[in-house]
Amino acid sequence: MAIIYSKRRSRKMPQPRNVIPNMTPMVDVVMVILIFFMLGSSFASPELFLTNHSPAIGSDLNPPTAAPMPAMTLQVKLERYGLHTTAIIGNGEFQTQDLSGALQDWLTQKRAILGDQVHIIVWPQSNVPWQDVITVYHNCIKAKYIHVAFKAEG
Amino acid sequence: MKRRTISHMHNEQVNVTPLIDVVMCLIIFFLLVGHIAKQVSAQNVKVPIAKNGNELEDRSGQVIINVVPQKGPTPDYQPPPEIIVFGKQVSIDELADELNDYKSNNPDLTLIIRADQSIQYKYISPILISCAKAGIDTVNFAIQNPSQ
Repeated sequence: MAIIYSKRRSRKMPQPRNVIPNMTPMVDVVMVILIFFMLGSSFASPELFLTNHSPAIGSDLNPPTAAPMPAMTLQVKLERYGLHTTAIIGNGEFQTQDLSGALQDWLTQKRAILGDQVHIIVWPQSNVPWQDVITVYHNCIKAKYIHVAFKAEG
Repeated sequence: MKRRTISHMHNEQVNVTPLIDVVMCLIIFFLLVGHIAKQVSAQNVKVPIAKNGNELEDRSGQVIINVVPQKGPTPDYQPPPEIIVFGKQVSIDELADELNDYKSNNPDLTLIIRADQSIQYKYISPILISCAKAGIDTVNFAIQNPSQ
């Protein structure tokens, strides 16, 4: 009797097979996403930085560092006329297109005469674009000046 | 006998569960890193171009200030830019307060200023004043290499 019952059951309700979901499409998609993220992160170029240790100087500002500043100062004034920025140092004037070449040469020559102990103050007019300020600051760093600050009035 | 053979074949499939675990972890990692990087650095800031810059090795404990330009009604007029710190827009007064707080929590605080190259100096100057007033003596200006 029992044998007959088991035969009937096996016909109506077949034993469950070991069903595993097909993971292949999912693994494919996941791998594509992973490769996309890995390539995306490797293409992102790292940013570079220009470091300054005495960012701002003004009449109402105390120097941020306790270290004494050099007594000799060199003021680089930046003025904006139309689409051009002019850097004025003493008697010298340098246009926007010369900021990377002639200005840097001038600063390098001046440093050879004056030495390390010079405090450069970059004094941009209010409408000078940040790009030109950074270009002048970059020239000062390339000419190996250590003390460079930006004139900022509150 | 036939049934045994079928079940034996099923058990021979490669177990992909650990693979999926690892790959999912990697994807979540990249998603989180991308999200944080987007929050920290505003994408629509075109930093100034300069040839020689330094890579910062240790960027822990640094505050990044993004200065994002705004479009004005006319090309001559440049409206005040947005100042964004850790994904949050702040005014210049709030920035001064926040810098004081950060400085009191971390005396060795250094700053990164990511300002757009077109922004006029009158909008950068108050940020530099806030840094000086907060006693922050190291400021890094983000630049881009011309070859990139």
